[in-house]
Amino acid sequence: MTQAPDKARERLSQVSGHLASDNQPALPSSGLGKDAILKKSPDDVVVTCAIRTPFTKGGKGPLKDTMGADLLLYTFKNLLSRSKIDPSLVEDIATGCVLAPGGGATEFRAAALAAGFPDSTAVKSLNRQCSSGLQACVDIANAIKSGMIEIGIGSGVESMSTQYGPGAVTEFSELLENHMQAANCKVPMGVLSEQMAKDKKVTRKDQDAFAANSFQKAIKAQEQGLFDEEIMPVTVKYTDPKTEEEKTVTVTKDDGVRTGITAESLSKIRAAFAKDGTIHAGNASQVSDGAAAVLLMKRSTAERLGQPILGKYVNASVVGVPPLLMGIGPWKAIPVALEKAGISKDDVDIFEINEAFASQCVWCIKELGLDESKVNPKGGAIAFGHPLGCTGARQVSTLLTELRRTGQKVGVSSMCVGTGMGMAAVWVAE
Amino acid sequence: MLEFRTQGFQGYAVKYSPFFDNRLAVAASANYGLVGNGRLYVLELTANGIQCLKWYPTQDALYDVAHSEVHSNHLLTSSGDGSLRLYDVSLAPEFPIATFQEHSREAFSCSWNLTSKATFASSSWDGNVKIWNPERQQSLLTLPTHSCTYSTQWNPHTDGLLSAVCSDSHLRVWDLRTPASANNHLILQIPIHSAPNTINNARLQPTFPPSEALTHDWNKYRSEVLATAGVDRIIRTFDIRQPKGPVQLLQGHTYAVRKVAWSPHLPDLLLSASYDMTCRVWSDGGGAPGKPAAELGNMGRHTEFATGVDWCMFGNEGWAATCGWDERVCVWDVRAFMSG
Repeated sequence: MTQAPDKARERLSQVSGHLASDNQPALPSSGLGKDAILKKSPDDVVVTCAIRTPFTKGGKGPLKDTMGADLLLYTFKNLLSRSKIDPSLVEDIATGCVLAPGGGATEFRAAALAAGFPDSTAVKSLNRQCSSGLQACVDIANAIKSGMIEIGIGSGVESMSTQYGPGAVTEFSELLENHMQAANCKVPMGVLSEQMAKDKKVTRKDQDAFAANSFQKAIKAQEQGLFDEEIMPVTVKYTDPKTEEEKTVTVTKDDGVRTGITAESLSKIRAAFAKDGTIHAGNASQVSDGAAAVLLMKRSTAERLGQPILGKYVNASVVGVPPLLMGIGPWKAIPVALEKAGISKDDVDIFEINEAFASQCVWCIKELGLDESKVNPKGGAIAFGHPLGCTGARQVSTLLTELRRTGQKVGVSSMCVGTGMGMAAVWVAE
Repeated sequence: MLEFRTQGFQGYAVKYSPFFDNRLAVAASANYGLVGNGRLYVLELTANGIQCLKWYPTQDALYDVAHSEVHSNHLLTSSGDGSLRLYDVSLAPEFPIATFQEHSREAFSCSWNLTSKATFASSSWDGNVKIWNPERQQSLLTLPTHSCTYSTQWNPHTDGLLSAVCSDSHLRVWDLRTPASANNHLILQIPIHSAPNTINNARLQPTFPPSEALTHDWNKYRSEVLATAGVDRIIRTFDIRQPKGPVQLLQGHTYAVRKVAWSPHLPDLLLSASYDMTCRVWSDGGGAPGKPAAELGNMGRHTEFATGVDWCMFGNEGWAATCGWDERVCVWDVRAFMSG
């Protein structure tokens, strides 16, 4: 046999080729399962900065006289100063907002320019009701994943003090009024949640207990300074309602958070939406003003720019539910997000579920079988407020800071959406 | 567990005889089959354990062995020099009774036709599958694959249906009843690495890069099902009626899978031998929709690459023989290693 040494060498390299493993698991690119989502890949979309303004009471708090676009402007400035990112590198900004006429697109673009972004930074506004802030972050993440942009900001803002009111929704035509489901989209959130609480038998007692717990968790977190990392103070003009004089104040804390709230103290409050109702101002999300922003980019970009990585965005889900049952949104959306990530609820360390109403939140947690100690450990919208378009972006900073503080990894943020939807997203802290 | 040492020679393939319920043939090679001679062992299971009835020395490494389906004493080997040799165990001399030399490179597998029993097939690194009749020195047919073909098998149900898997990560199926035409009887060419066939297509599908397929076997009860396995460590079952992608993925091996064999007694049971030194038993769920595939057991006796696997058709169902580079031939009851 000729060329025997060559043959031996060829056979040897053939067998070695069978063994050449690239240190990859048996499923090379499945990306599913807890181990897979914890893995770091250069193409991951990561969060390098996530901040928010303090939330203050709509119509009463120190931010009541500040326009939404100004709140956003302060937030952009704060984001730039904390992240130290070169503003010209940010290609797109998405801002969720529900009440601003025209979506707020024009004034938000102006705000970005005034905050120091060059005109090469594009801006859009979007509205998916209460999930707008999350949708903004998801849109930016998807744009980064698809290669449309490299660096973007997902944000949200709501000035309920200046913009809450009938002007936020257009009159329905007859076509819409005459279609039952379509007409249901106009039913006020409080009214339909009251009906849902009745139908799903969520008692006043459970709601008040949940609400009191939210207040207690929030006040404790505030006292321990657990919000200090995510909140960046803003200095605004404020007209004192009593003295009518205009002052300049620096707002540093959420003012909705109060001490001394117990289930008992809540039980005395009169129901707001029905005579024999269960929902009242104390067990529903507060009307508030605030803004939040999240800086997103690929891991490889973050490493190249020297940006700290707070965590990564894994995936998100959006689902539709009957408009009159909008509160069940998280119950439907969370399993979808978990399945897409290939993890189970037991793999999740913290859930940030927006507390639109204690009734729907209690019901969702129970139906999903979640461990209550994992849900909203720093309290929720009942305690510190729900500026509609901002909440989704706020949850990212609250979630990631708490995961990092406690050394935990996997988080899920979720909310119900008015007119009948739910959204959820999976995040991993690093 | 019964053991036999093929001293000085590393095992590559083991096959039970279809005629004698206590006879095994083992194809083994010196120096791990990389260089040097080979040896064909004919072993017998006796009351005193496994005894060597006869052995044949060969010039080059032996990679596969097949028993003749028509003659109880004939054995076929495929060798590193590309030749296939037929031996008659009942004759005294240590020489083959026929040599079939056409492959230009290592012949990695040989397989006897189980239905018409008149022909056998061989596959080689030279990118060809050849079909032979033992009475003719020249091959009857050459089916090109243009890629190192590690394994070829006849479909045990349909006469004329032949398959092969190659290092280009494809499964090819030929139907010799069809006219030759430009396709050379090729009816299916399935990329083994395709995403699995699932009902729920909304879910994110795992994607796989192509990887060398080293082995495959047809199911003995479900005529359209076969299993392939190779370097990416995953055993895949295919249904050739739905060739878009694998039906089941059986994962667990931590290194390449060298050999798979379906049970001759149960329609869903599969044995595999791998470079991770284990032989594993699997159920593929039997084809019922929604029934999951599962690893049922793990035999870790081999202390080197496990390379050969064959089920015993006779006697107590569930016995199998395995061989490996640790020079061990193990004969064991698979049920003893199965849990659930």
